[in-house]
Amino acid sequence: MRYRFALSFAALLLAACDSLPRDAAGTTERIERTHAMRVTVLPGTPDAQPALALVGAYARDHGAHLRLIPIHGEHAHKALKDGEVDALIGHFAKASPWQADIALSKPVARGEPDDKEHPVLRIARRNGENALILATDQLVAQDPR
Amino acid sequence: MSLHSGIPDAIAADVRHGERLEWWTLAWIDSVVVVMALVMGASQAMKSAVIEDVLSLIPAIVFLLSVHWERKRANNRFPFGYRRANSLAFLVAATALLAVGGFLVYESVTTLVRQEHPTVGGITLFGHTIWLGWLMIAALVYSIIPPLILGRIKQPVAKRINDKVLHTDALMQKADWQTGFAAIAGITGIGLGWWWADASAALFIALSIIKDAVGALRQAVAELLDGTPRALDSNKLADDAERLIATLKARFGDVDVRLRETGRYIAAEVDCPPPATIPTGVELMDEKAWRLASLNFRPE
Repeated sequence: MRYRFALSFAALLLAACDSLPRDAAGTTERIERTHAMRVTVLPGTPDAQPALALVGAYARDHGAHLRLIPIHGEHAHKALKDGEVDALIGHFAKASPWQADIALSKPVARGEPDDKEHPVLRIARRNGENALILATDQLVAQDPR
Repeated sequence: MSLHSGIPDAIAADVRHGERLEWWTLAWIDSVVVVMALVMGASQAMKSAVIEDVLSLIPAIVFLLSVHWERKRANNRFPFGYRRANSLAFLVAATALLAVGGFLVYESVTTLVRQEHPTVGGITLFGHTIWLGWLMIAALVYSIIPPLILGRIKQPVAKRINDKVLHTDALMQKADWQTGFAAIAGITGIGLGWWWADASAALFIALSIIKDAVGALRQAVAELLDGTPRALDSNKLADDAERLIATLKARFGDVDVRLRETGRYIAAEVDCPPPATIPTGVELMDEKAWRLASLNFRPE
Protein backbone atom coordinates (compact mmCIF):
# COMPACT_ATOMS: atom_id res chain seq x y z
CA MET A 1 0.00 0.00 0.00
CA ARG A 2 2.81 2.37 1.05
CA TYR A 3 4.85 1.49 -2.08
CA ARG A 4 1.80 2.02 -4.28
CA PHE A 5 1.34 5.48 -2.74
CA ALA A 6 5.04 6.30 -3.26
CA LEU A 7 4.89 5.14 -6.89
CA SER A 8 1.73 7.18 -7.55
CA PHE A 9 3.35 10.21 -5.92
CA ALA A 10 6.52 9.79 -8.04
CA ALA A 11 4.40 9.41 -11.22
CA LEU A 12 2.45 12.56 -10.32
CA LEU A 13 5.72 14.39 -9.73
CA LEU A 14 7.15 13.30 -13.10
CA ALA A 15 3.96 14.29 -14.90
CA ALA A 16 4.07 17.68 -13.22
CA CYS A 17 7.72 18.36 -14.13
CA ASP A 18 6.86 20.80 -16.91
CA SER A 19 4.11 22.62 -15.09
CA LEU A 20 5.94 23.25 -11.82
CA PRO A 21 6.16 25.64 -10.18
CA ARG A 22 2.84 27.49 -10.10
CA ASP A 23 1.90 30.73 -8.36
CA ALA A 24 0.21 30.51 -4.96
CA ALA A 25 -2.03 33.50 -5.77
CA GLY A 26 -2.25 32.93 -9.54
CA THR A 27 -0.38 36.07 -10.69
CA THR A 28 0.77 34.54 -14.01
CA GLU A 29 -2.76 33.39 -14.87
CA ARG A 30 -4.12 36.82 -13.98
CA ILE A 31 -1.54 38.54 -16.18
CA GLU A 32 -2.53 36.26 -19.08
CA ARG A 33 -6.23 36.83 -18.44
CA THR A 34 -6.09 40.62 -18.09
CA HIS A 35 -3.24 41.12 -20.60
CA ALA A 36 -1.60 43.49 -18.09
CA MET A 37 1.34 43.24 -15.72
CA ARG A 38 1.31 45.87 -13.00
CA VAL A 39 4.78 47.20 -12.24
CA THR A 40 5.96 49.95 -9.90
CA VAL A 41 9.33 51.63 -10.34
CA LEU A 42 10.48 52.93 -6.97
CA PRO A 43 11.44 56.61 -6.83
CA GLY A 44 15.21 57.13 -7.09
CA THR A 45 15.75 54.40 -9.65
CA PRO A 46 17.14 56.29 -12.67
CA ASP A 47 18.69 53.09 -14.10
CA ALA A 48 15.41 51.08 -14.11
CA GLN A 49 15.42 50.56 -17.88
CA PRO A 50 17.19 47.14 -18.04
CA ALA A 51 14.80 45.75 -15.41
CA LEU A 52 11.81 47.25 -17.19
CA ALA A 53 13.00 45.60 -20.41
CA LEU A 54 13.15 42.20 -18.66
CA VAL A 55 9.68 42.40 -17.12
CA GLY A 56 8.43 43.78 -20.45
CA ALA A 57 9.79 40.67 -22.19
CA TYR A 58 8.08 38.49 -19.59
CA ALA A 59 4.78 40.34 -20.09
CA ARG A 60 5.06 39.95 -23.92
CA ASP A 61 5.70 36.19 -23.50
CA HIS A 62 2.35 36.01 -21.71
CA GLY A 63 0.43 38.19 -24.16
CA ALA A 64 0.39 41.21 -21.84
CA HIS A 65 1.80 44.70 -21.62
CA LEU A 66 3.30 46.63 -18.73
CA ARG A 67 1.04 48.91 -16.72
CA LEU A 68 3.14 51.27 -14.61
CA ILE A 69 1.56 51.96 -11.22
CA PRO A 70 2.94 55.01 -9.40
CA ILE A 71 3.24 54.23 -5.68
CA HIS A 72 5.63 55.86 -3.26
CA GLY A 73 8.00 54.56 -0.62
CA GLU A 74 6.84 52.03 1.95
CA HIS A 75 3.39 51.79 0.36
CA ALA A 76 4.94 50.09 -2.67
CA HIS A 77 6.24 47.17 -0.60
CA LYS A 78 2.86 46.73 1.07
CA ALA A 79 1.13 46.95 -2.31
CA LEU A 80 3.38 44.14 -3.58
CA LYS A 81 2.73 42.02 -0.47
CA ASP A 82 -1.00 42.58 -0.84
CA GLY A 83 -0.95 41.70 -4.54
CA GLU A 84 -1.88 45.19 -5.76
CA VAL A 85 1.20 45.19 -8.03
CA ASP A 86 3.01 42.25 -9.63
CA ALA A 87 6.59 43.50 -9.44
CA LEU A 88 8.66 46.33 -7.99
CA ILE A 89 11.76 47.68 -9.65
CA GLY A 90 14.22 49.46 -7.43
CA HIS A 91 17.52 49.38 -5.58
CA PHE A 92 17.68 46.71 -2.91
CA ALA A 93 20.61 45.34 -0.89
CA LYS A 94 21.10 41.55 -0.71
CA ALA A 95 20.60 41.90 3.06
CA SER A 96 17.55 44.12 2.63
CA PRO A 97 15.24 44.35 5.65
CA TRP A 98 12.43 43.49 3.19
CA GLN A 99 14.14 40.25 2.19
CA ALA A 100 11.76 38.00 4.14
CA ASP A 101 8.62 39.78 2.94
CA ILE A 102 9.29 39.97 -0.80
CA ALA A 103 11.24 37.82 -3.26
CA LEU A 104 14.26 39.72 -4.57
CA SER A 105 15.93 38.78 -7.86
CA LYS A 106 19.67 38.71 -8.42
CA PRO A 107 21.08 42.11 -9.50
CA VAL A 108 19.96 43.17 -12.99
CA ALA A 109 22.66 43.91 -15.59
CA ARG A 110 25.51 43.47 -13.10
CA GLY A 111 27.05 40.93 -10.73
CA GLU A 112 26.35 40.57 -7.03
CA PRO A 113 28.30 43.25 -5.10
CA ASP A 114 30.71 42.06 -2.40
CA ASP A 115 28.98 44.29 0.13
CA LYS A 116 25.65 42.71 1.13
CA GLU A 117 24.43 46.11 2.33
CA HIS A 118 25.04 47.82 -1.03
CA PRO A 119 21.71 48.44 -2.86
CA VAL A 120 21.65 47.55 -6.57
CA LEU A 121 18.96 47.30 -9.24
CA ARG A 122 16.72 44.27 -8.62
CA ILE A 123 13.20 43.08 -9.37
CA ALA A 124 11.05 42.35 -6.32
CA ARG A 125 8.20 39.85 -6.65
CA ARG A 126 5.39 38.81 -4.32
CA ASN A 127 6.32 35.86 -2.07
CA GLY A 128 4.89 32.52 -3.19
CA GLU A 129 4.41 33.52 -6.85
CA ASN A 130 6.96 30.91 -7.80
CA ALA A 131 6.17 30.60 -11.53
CA LEU A 132 6.64 34.36 -11.99
CA ILE A 133 9.71 34.31 -9.73
CA LEU A 134 11.38 31.45 -11.66
CA ALA A 135 10.56 32.98 -15.05
CA THR A 136 11.99 36.39 -14.10
CA ASP A 137 15.02 34.72 -12.43
CA GLN A 138 15.68 32.96 -15.76
CA LEU A 139 15.45 36.26 -17.64
CA VAL A 140 17.80 38.00 -15.18
CA ALA A 141 20.29 35.10 -15.49
CA GLN A 142 20.20 35.28 -19.33
CA ASP A 143 20.63 39.07 -19.34
CA PRO A 144 24.20 40.07 -20.33
CA ARG A 145 26.09 41.65 -17.45
CA MET B 1 32.80 -6.94 33.86
CA SER B 2 32.25 -6.29 37.59
CA LEU B 3 29.04 -5.97 39.56
CA HIS B 4 28.71 -2.25 38.95
CA SER B 5 30.70 -1.58 35.79
CA GLY B 6 31.57 -2.94 32.40
CA ILE B 7 29.45 -4.50 29.69
CA PRO B 8 28.45 -8.18 30.04
CA ASP B 9 30.05 -10.57 27.54
CA ALA B 10 26.60 -11.75 26.45
CA ILE B 11 25.83 -8.37 24.85
CA ALA B 12 29.34 -6.98 24.23
CA ALA B 13 29.25 -7.73 20.48
CA ASP B 14 25.79 -6.18 20.05
CA VAL B 15 26.81 -3.08 22.00
CA ARG B 16 29.82 -2.68 19.70
CA HIS B 17 27.45 -3.13 16.73
CA GLY B 18 25.26 -0.37 18.20
CA GLU B 19 28.29 1.91 18.52
CA ARG B 20 29.28 1.29 14.89
CA LEU B 21 25.73 2.10 13.79
CA GLU B 22 25.84 5.36 15.73
CA TRP B 23 29.17 6.37 14.16
CA TRP B 24 27.63 5.65 10.75
CA THR B 25 24.62 7.74 11.79
CA LEU B 26 26.84 10.70 12.70
CA ALA B 27 28.72 10.47 9.39
CA TRP B 28 25.60 10.09 7.21
CA ILE B 29 23.51 12.72 8.96
CA ASP B 30 26.43 15.19 8.85
CA SER B 31 26.61 14.70 5.08
CA VAL B 32 22.82 15.15 4.85
CA VAL B 33 23.04 18.42 6.80
CA VAL B 34 25.74 19.73 4.43
CA VAL B 35 23.77 18.78 1.28
CA MET B 36 20.53 20.27 2.64
CA ALA B 37 22.25 23.48 3.78
CA LEU B 38 23.66 23.93 0.25
CA VAL B 39 20.20 23.93 -1.37
CA MET B 40 17.95 25.28 1.37
CA GLY B 41 17.80 28.82 -0.03
CA ALA B 42 15.13 30.87 1.75
CA SER B 43 12.76 27.93 2.24
CA GLN B 44 11.46 27.67 5.79
CA ALA B 45 10.55 24.02 5.23
CA MET B 46 14.13 23.18 4.31
CA LYS B 47 15.51 25.21 7.24
CA SER B 48 13.25 23.24 9.58
CA ALA B 49 14.41 19.97 8.01
CA VAL B 50 18.07 20.97 8.52
CA ILE B 51 17.50 21.98 12.17
CA GLU B 52 15.59 18.74 12.72
CA ASP B 53 18.52 16.78 11.26
CA VAL B 54 21.03 18.58 13.51
CA LEU B 55 18.88 17.86 16.60
CA SER B 56 18.57 14.24 15.52
CA LEU B 57 22.31 13.80 16.13
CA ILE B 58 21.76 14.16 19.90
CA PRO B 59 20.54 10.59 20.66
CA ALA B 60 23.45 9.11 18.66
CA ILE B 61 25.96 11.27 20.55
CA VAL B 62 24.49 10.53 23.99
CA PHE B 63 24.38 6.79 23.20
CA LEU B 64 28.11 6.80 22.41
CA LEU B 65 28.86 8.81 25.56
CA SER B 66 26.73 6.59 27.80
CA VAL B 67 28.38 3.37 26.51
CA HIS B 68 31.79 4.96 27.06
CA TRP B 69 30.80 5.75 30.68
CA GLU B 70 29.21 2.36 31.19
CA ARG B 71 32.59 0.73 30.53
CA LYS B 72 34.32 2.87 33.18
CA ARG B 73 35.13 1.08 36.42
CA ALA B 74 33.46 1.94 39.70
CA ASN B 75 35.67 4.04 41.98
CA ASN B 76 35.62 5.74 45.35
CA ARG B 77 33.70 8.72 44.04
CA PHE B 78 31.23 6.57 42.06
CA PRO B 79 31.14 3.24 43.94
CA PHE B 80 28.07 2.06 41.98
CA GLY B 81 29.79 2.74 38.65
CA TYR B 82 28.40 4.78 35.78
CA ARG B 83 25.66 2.51 34.52
CA ARG B 84 23.01 5.09 35.26
CA ALA B 85 24.63 7.25 32.54
CA ASN B 86 22.40 5.26 30.19
CA SER B 87 19.29 6.39 32.11
CA LEU B 88 20.46 10.00 31.93
CA ALA B 89 21.24 9.62 28.22
CA PHE B 90 17.74 8.24 27.69
CA LEU B 91 16.24 11.34 29.32
CA VAL B 92 18.39 13.58 27.09
CA ALA B 93 17.47 11.62 23.93
CA ALA B 94 13.75 11.72 24.78
CA THR B 95 13.98 15.47 25.45
CA ALA B 96 15.72 15.98 22.09
CA LEU B 97 12.93 14.07 20.34
CA LEU B 98 10.34 16.24 22.11
CA ALA B 99 12.28 19.38 21.12
CA VAL B 100 12.21 18.30 17.45
CA GLY B 101 8.44 17.70 17.60
CA GLY B 102 7.81 20.98 19.45
CA PHE B 103 9.95 22.95 17.01
CA LEU B 104 8.14 21.49 14.00
CA VAL B 105 4.72 22.24 15.54
CA TYR B 106 5.76 25.86 16.24
CA GLU B 107 7.10 26.35 12.71
CA SER B 108 4.05 24.80 11.06
CA VAL B 109 1.45 26.59 13.16
CA THR B 110 3.08 30.03 12.75
CA THR B 111 3.31 29.49 8.97
CA LEU B 112 -0.37 28.53 8.79
CA VAL B 113 -1.54 31.35 11.08
CA ARG B 114 0.49 34.02 9.28
CA GLN B 115 -0.51 32.50 5.91
CA GLU B 116 3.10 32.83 4.76
CA HIS B 117 3.52 32.01 1.08
CA PRO B 118 6.85 30.19 0.76
CA THR B 119 9.09 31.35 -2.05
CA VAL B 120 11.22 28.86 -3.99
CA GLY B 121 12.83 30.58 -6.96
CA GLY B 122 15.45 29.61 -9.51
CA ILE B 123 19.09 28.62 -9.22
CA THR B 124 21.60 28.94 -12.04
CA LEU B 125 23.79 25.87 -12.59
CA PHE B 126 26.13 25.50 -15.57
CA GLY B 127 24.39 28.36 -17.37
CA HIS B 128 20.84 26.99 -16.88
CA THR B 129 18.38 28.44 -14.39
CA ILE B 130 16.18 25.69 -12.96
CA TRP B 131 13.60 25.63 -10.19
CA LEU B 132 15.40 25.24 -6.84
CA GLY B 133 12.56 22.98 -5.70
CA TRP B 134 13.95 20.12 -7.86
CA LEU B 135 17.33 20.33 -6.11
CA MET B 136 15.58 20.48 -2.74
CA ILE B 137 13.59 17.34 -3.55
CA ALA B 138 16.80 15.57 -4.66
CA ALA B 139 18.51 16.57 -1.39
CA LEU B 140 15.49 15.41 0.61
CA VAL B 141 15.46 12.03 -1.17
CA TYR B 142 19.13 11.69 -0.16
CA SER B 143 18.23 12.70 3.41
CA ILE B 144 15.58 9.96 3.65
CA ILE B 145 17.76 6.99 2.70
CA PRO B 146 20.26 6.83 5.64
CA PRO B 147 17.69 7.12 8.47
CA LEU B 148 15.36 4.68 6.73
CA ILE B 149 18.10 2.03 6.61
CA LEU B 150 19.86 2.81 9.91
CA GLY B 151 16.63 3.10 11.91
CA ARG B 152 15.50 -0.37 10.80
CA ILE B 153 18.90 -1.93 11.61
CA LYS B 154 19.02 -0.28 15.06
CA GLN B 155 15.66 -1.53 16.35
CA PRO B 156 16.55 -5.25 16.74
CA VAL B 157 19.97 -4.34 18.21
CA ALA B 158 18.30 -2.02 20.75
CA LYS B 159 15.94 -4.84 21.69
CA ARG B 160 18.75 -7.37 22.18
CA ILE B 161 20.83 -5.08 24.42
CA ASN B 162 17.73 -3.54 26.04
CA ASP B 163 18.94 -0.04 25.24
CA LYS B 164 16.28 2.63 25.40
CA VAL B 165 18.66 5.31 24.07
CA LEU B 166 19.31 3.30 20.92
CA HIS B 167 15.58 2.61 20.63
CA THR B 168 14.82 6.35 20.98
CA ASP B 169 17.46 7.01 18.33
CA ALA B 170 15.64 4.58 16.03
CA LEU B 171 12.48 6.62 16.71
CA MET B 172 14.44 9.77 15.86
CA GLN B 173 15.49 8.19 12.55
CA LYS B 174 11.82 7.44 11.90
CA ALA B 175 11.09 11.10 12.61
CA ASP B 176 13.90 12.03 10.18
CA TRP B 177 12.61 10.07 7.20
CA GLN B 178 9.01 10.97 7.89
CA THR B 179 9.96 14.66 8.01
CA GLY B 180 11.86 14.14 4.76
CA PHE B 181 8.76 12.73 3.05
CA ALA B 182 6.64 15.53 4.52
CA ALA B 183 9.12 18.11 3.22
CA ILE B 184 9.04 16.53 -0.29
CA ALA B 185 5.24 16.69 -0.21
CA GLY B 186 5.56 20.26 1.04
CA ILE B 187 7.97 21.39 -1.70
CA THR B 188 5.76 19.70 -4.31
CA GLY B 189 2.79 21.50 -2.76
CA ILE B 190 4.65 24.81 -3.01
CA GLY B 191 5.31 23.97 -6.69
CA LEU B 192 1.61 23.38 -7.22
CA GLY B 193 0.80 26.73 -5.62
CA TRP B 194 -0.57 25.21 -2.40
CA TRP B 195 1.18 27.41 0.16
CA TRP B 196 -0.43 25.53 3.09
CA ALA B 197 0.68 22.03 1.99
CA ASP B 198 4.18 22.25 3.41
CA ALA B 199 3.16 23.39 6.91
CA SER B 200 0.18 21.01 7.08
CA ALA B 201 2.31 17.98 6.22
CA ALA B 202 4.96 19.02 8.77
CA LEU B 203 2.31 19.54 11.47
CA PHE B 204 0.88 16.06 10.89
CA ILE B 205 4.32 14.47 11.25
CA ALA B 206 5.22 16.67 14.26
CA LEU B 207 2.22 15.42 16.24
CA SER B 208 3.31 11.81 15.72
CA ILE B 209 6.88 12.72 16.80
CA ILE B 210 5.54 14.38 19.97
CA LYS B 211 3.47 11.29 20.79
CA ASP B 212 6.61 9.09 20.57
CA ALA B 213 8.64 11.65 22.57
CA VAL B 214 6.11 11.92 25.41
CA GLY B 215 6.04 8.11 25.68
CA ALA B 216 9.86 8.01 25.84
CA LEU B 217 9.95 10.82 28.43
CA ARG B 218 7.48 8.98 30.69
CA GLN B 219 9.71 5.89 30.53
CA ALA B 220 12.86 7.95 31.22
CA VAL B 221 11.28 9.62 34.26
CA ALA B 222 10.03 6.23 35.54
CA GLU B 223 13.56 4.87 35.27
CA LEU B 224 15.11 7.81 37.13
CA LEU B 225 12.47 7.50 39.88
CA ASP B 226 13.38 3.82 40.38
CA GLY B 227 10.12 2.61 38.82
CA THR B 228 9.66 -1.04 37.89
CA PRO B 229 11.52 -1.67 34.57
CA ARG B 230 9.47 -0.52 31.59
CA ALA B 231 9.22 -2.08 28.11
CA LEU B 232 11.48 -0.72 25.39
CA ASP B 233 8.68 0.73 23.28
CA SER B 234 5.98 1.64 25.80
CA ASN B 235 5.35 2.61 29.41
CA LYS B 236 4.08 -0.91 30.24
CA LEU B 237 6.12 -3.06 32.60
CA ALA B 238 8.85 -5.00 30.78
CA ASP B 239 7.96 -8.65 30.09
CA ASP B 240 11.23 -9.96 31.56
CA ALA B 241 10.67 -7.87 34.71
CA GLU B 242 7.18 -9.32 35.17
CA ARG B 243 8.54 -12.84 34.63
CA LEU B 244 11.30 -12.20 37.19
CA ILE B 245 8.78 -11.04 39.80
CA ALA B 246 6.68 -14.16 39.15
CA THR B 247 9.76 -16.44 39.38
CA LEU B 248 10.93 -14.85 42.65
CA LYS B 249 7.45 -15.13 44.17
CA ALA B 250 7.16 -18.74 43.06
CA ARG B 251 10.48 -19.52 44.72
CA PHE B 252 10.19 -17.51 47.94
CA GLY B 253 6.43 -17.42 48.57
CA ASP B 254 4.07 -14.49 48.71
CA VAL B 255 6.70 -11.88 49.55
CA ASP B 256 7.17 -8.31 48.38
CA VAL B 257 9.46 -8.08 45.36
CA ARG B 258 10.74 -4.73 44.12
CA LEU B 259 12.61 -4.20 40.87
CA ARG B 260 14.28 -1.09 39.56
CA GLU B 261 16.32 -0.36 36.49
CA THR B 262 19.74 1.24 36.19
CA GLY B 263 20.32 1.78 32.50
CA ARG B 264 19.82 -1.65 30.94
CA TYR B 265 20.31 -3.56 34.24
CA ILE B 266 17.78 -4.71 36.83
CA ALA B 267 18.27 -4.63 40.60
CA ALA B 268 15.87 -6.84 42.59
CA GLU B 269 14.95 -6.63 46.25
CA VAL B 270 13.05 -9.47 47.96
CA ASP B 271 11.49 -9.07 51.42
CA CYS B 272 12.57 -12.37 53.00
CA PRO B 273 15.64 -13.80 54.77
CA PRO B 274 18.46 -14.82 52.41
CA PRO B 275 18.01 -18.46 51.31
CA ALA B 276 20.70 -21.07 51.90
CA THR B 277 21.34 -21.25 48.14
CA ILE B 278 21.14 -18.01 46.21
CA PRO B 279 19.61 -18.61 42.75
CA THR B 280 21.77 -17.71 39.78
CA GLY B 281 20.87 -15.15 37.13
CA VAL B 282 20.35 -17.91 34.55
CA GLU B 283 17.93 -19.71 36.88
CA LEU B 284 15.91 -16.54 37.29
CA MET B 285 16.12 -14.91 33.85
CA ASP B 286 17.38 -17.53 31.38
CA GLU B 287 19.10 -15.93 28.40
CA LYS B 288 18.55 -12.44 29.85
CA ALA B 289 20.61 -13.30 32.95
CA TRP B 290 22.98 -10.43 32.15
CA ARG B 291 20.12 -8.01 32.93
CA LEU B 292 20.08 -8.98 36.61
CA ALA B 293 22.84 -6.88 38.18
CA SER B 294 21.95 -7.46 41.83
CA LEU B 295 19.60 -9.49 44.01
CA ASN B 296 19.13 -8.40 47.64
CA PHE B 297 17.17 -10.04 50.45
CA ARG B 298 15.67 -7.93 53.23
CA PRO B 299 14.71 -9.90 56.32
CA GLU B 300 11.85 -8.38 58.40
